[in-house]
Amino acid sequence: MLGRIVRHEWRGLTADAVLWVIGAVFAVAIAYGVWNGSRWVDFQQAALTSAAAEEAARYDGLKAQVARIATGEEKVSPFADPRNPANVGGRLGPRYATLPPGPLAPLAIGQSDLLPYYFRISTDSRENIVATSEIENPQRLLVGRFDLAFVIVFLFPLLILAITYNMVSAEQEQGTLALALSQPVSLATLVTGKVLLRALLLVGFVVVFSAVALVATGTSLASAGVAARLGLWVAAVAAYGAFWFALAVFVASFGRNSAANATVLAGAWLTLVIVLPSLLNMAVTTLYPVPSRVEMVQAMRVASDEANAAGSALLAGYYEDHPELAVGGADQAMTDFNVIRVAVNDDVEKRVRPVVDRYDRQIARQQATVDRLRFLSPAVLMQDALNDVAGSGVPRHRRFMEQVAAYHADWRAFFTPLIFRKASVADFDATPRFTFAEETAGEVAGRVVWAVAGLALPALLLGWLGLGRLRRYPVVG
Amino acid sequence: MGEPAEEEPHSAAHYGVYAFKPKSQLAMVDAGIDPYMGVAVWLEAHRQNEFKYRPAQDRTAVQRFGEMNGAEVLQVLLPLFIVLMTFSAFAGEREQGTLRQVLSLGVSGRTLALGKALGIAATLGVVLVPATVLGVVAIALTAEGGYLAGDPLRAVLLTLTYLAYFALFIAVSLAVSARATSSRLALVMLLTFWFANGLVATRAAADVAATLHPTPSAIEFQKAMEAELGDPHDAKERMERLQAETLEKYGVTSLDALPVAFSGISLQSGEEHANEVFDQHYGRLFDTFADQDRVYQAAGLVAPMLAVRAISMGLAGTDFNQHRHFVTAAESYRRDIQRTLNNDIALNQKPGQTYLAGAELWNQVPDFDYTAPPTGWVLGNVRTSLTVLAAWLLAAGLLLFRSTGRLTADA
Repeated sequence: MLGRIVRHEWRGLTADAVLWVIGAVFAVAIAYGVWNGSRWVDFQQAALTSAAAEEAARYDGLKAQVARIATGEEKVSPFADPRNPANVGGRLGPRYATLPPGPLAPLAIGQSDLLPYYFRISTDSRENIVATSEIENPQRLLVGRFDLAFVIVFLFPLLILAITYNMVSAEQEQGTLALALSQPVSLATLVTGKVLLRALLLVGFVVVFSAVALVATGTSLASAGVAARLGLWVAAVAAYGAFWFALAVFVASFGRNSAANATVLAGAWLTLVIVLPSLLNMAVTTLYPVPSRVEMVQAMRVASDEANAAGSALLAGYYEDHPELAVGGADQAMTDFNVIRVAVNDDVEKRVRPVVDRYDRQIARQQATVDRLRFLSPAVLMQDALNDVAGSGVPRHRRFMEQVAAYHADWRAFFTPLIFRKASVADFDATPRFTFAEETAGEVAGRVVWAVAGLALPALLLGWLGLGRLRRYPVVG
Repeated sequence: MGEPAEEEPHSAAHYGVYAFKPKSQLAMVDAGIDPYMGVAVWLEAHRQNEFKYRPAQDRTAVQRFGEMNGAEVLQVLLPLFIVLMTFSAFAGEREQGTLRQVLSLGVSGRTLALGKALGIAATLGVVLVPATVLGVVAIALTAEGGYLAGDPLRAVLLTLTYLAYFALFIAVSLAVSARATSSRLALVMLLTFWFANGLVATRAAADVAATLHPTPSAIEFQKAMEAELGDPHDAKERMERLQAETLEKYGVTSLDALPVAFSGISLQSGEEHANEVFDQHYGRLFDTFADQDRVYQAAGLVAPMLAVRAISMGLAGTDFNQHRHFVTAAESYRRDIQRTLNNDIALNQKPGQTYLAGAELWNQVPDFDYTAPPTGWVLGNVRTSLTVLAAWLLAAGLLLFRSTGRLTADA
């Protein structure tokens, strides 16, 4: 029976221009979104390539300079000596710690336009190093990007609602509903058939079209984790679609006219997709306000003032820039300053850490609250899940920051003993390098499964309630 | 600054000062780009630094759905309420048959449209007027004489801008409702317009702007600047030339015979060389952003929200132009400090001695006193948007006038 309903609906739907218009709008939006996402990935990759090239050229330059110094071809002041570990670890030899775009990055730009994806790691304090970010027009950050995730979170539900809001009410208004129900079929079965076809069409369309678009951007399905993540992506999209279809069924079950259904569903969309997320944002930032970084800057200043009072690192910085003003034995001054500097840096970091931790804790509290309350809005759940699956969300970036912290510690641990022993850097290639350790698809799945469940359960509940009510639907009158 | 009592002047210059961008009172209505721009800039020797610490980086990803601030409500949500209140104004009455009754009384379509528009405006007013009064009171109570405190003109203009925006939305909605064959069609058309205006056009305009005027990546920007900057202390040639020039100027043969300290002169010369490079590179970057902003404003022709947003951020003091204004002022203050300190070194440092300056030198450096640009300057920056908004209002009015002129009771 269900099969016959679906076939009948298919004839009805395809004869209607609405489906084609929606299909066309959707196709254009998806193609544009994925193209936009892949342009951003290209931009990031170009920046990372440029960073790698800069680093390689700099290291080649350092090696050549050391060779020239060895042959006596070049004389260099101790403050710019490429053999001095303090100079290499600090100004001359920083290496980049980079976060490559996520496995499905073209599908969701997520937070990747806002959060930095490369750092120049040196012996400088971590707070200074991570305070950099990519250049972007702030207005563009404010409005966000048109990527596939935007199309799915915002537009997809609207299109679902546009082809479902009157699937029962229109038939009733035209009088065809009573006719259809004179056949041996229940209204619940009829609606199930209608929804099933529409869901297969729309969800199938978005899944197939985005996979095709992804492959067209040059992402290989065979590379590590891509296929598994695409599976998660499909699961999330299907669950999100199911929620909105179920909502449409639930609203239809009240037996109101088409205009009323449209208004209620538009209101639901507005509440769940626009208003609730904004209110959630307002709630977490009010509950756990992150103090202005102005305070942190002041604290860092105070900390370094106090540390400098103990060892005069200011003077070191000063001499580093102004060897010509160094009075009395530049070499002697330099080695002592480097040792003092290590000690001072360490001390500053220790003093600043509790202040920075306060910010991190507050952000973590916000995140924990959002993680709990996101179940209130399917849009927030969905955005979170899509960003996470694509690799442009917060968890992957947090992982990056942890690895950067560890790498920075390694970097210092490499140079500190050399500085104290007043040794020189023998092998530039021995300085630590950074490679981002990607998370497995399993780890991502462990998080995303909650979002999928958080979408599927309300969908099942709404669908069940809706179909239940449809059994008591007033077909006539 | 926590000024040290006795300090070597250039050491103090390296220590630097931080400048923080002041918040205007109207920023509470429209935070604009503030959350996405840094809040602090470090003014130190040798370098023009970038703004650091974007508040948005300290938030969760939900932030990207938008902030529930005044601007968001006024620019995005209220138009939707207008659409929902208006879409069935004519189309719905036509479907129910009440339009025929009204028209048979001899009421003209235009009079009817005017009446409906006023009715909707009054309904909005019931919500908006108390909200505005509350908002003004809240701002007045919380603000402690922010830098716009003395400029009620901005608040008035802001109010007028939003009123014009609502008026055009009411006019467009009524016109569509008058023309549409069914209220369903009117709703679909108006929702599409709302979605395209509020959610798509903003993003699309940003894409077009970035394609026309590409933003460099931070790494490319730094690379290009470093290449031109060189090491400010290793520019040997420049230094030798400067030495020769200085010796000739004072008519002596050795640096020790100079009546001034050469270190101060060389420091200042390094600053001036770097300043040229900064002006060029930051100038180009800021010009790129300004060009992109102009594209956003031009795109207001397609989506009136873009025009309203530009005017609103401008009046709230939270647009890029005013950010740039502040950055420029901070940078020129930085240069003043450097010049003062370097001149002092040139005058007072004696060869072979460490020179420590005291309070009288620090007192020569004035506090950073920033004056926000006047309202006229702001309006000049958004004149495209003002024109576009006026054009939209006019076009919407004409559309309503025409489509209600031949109002019929049949679809």
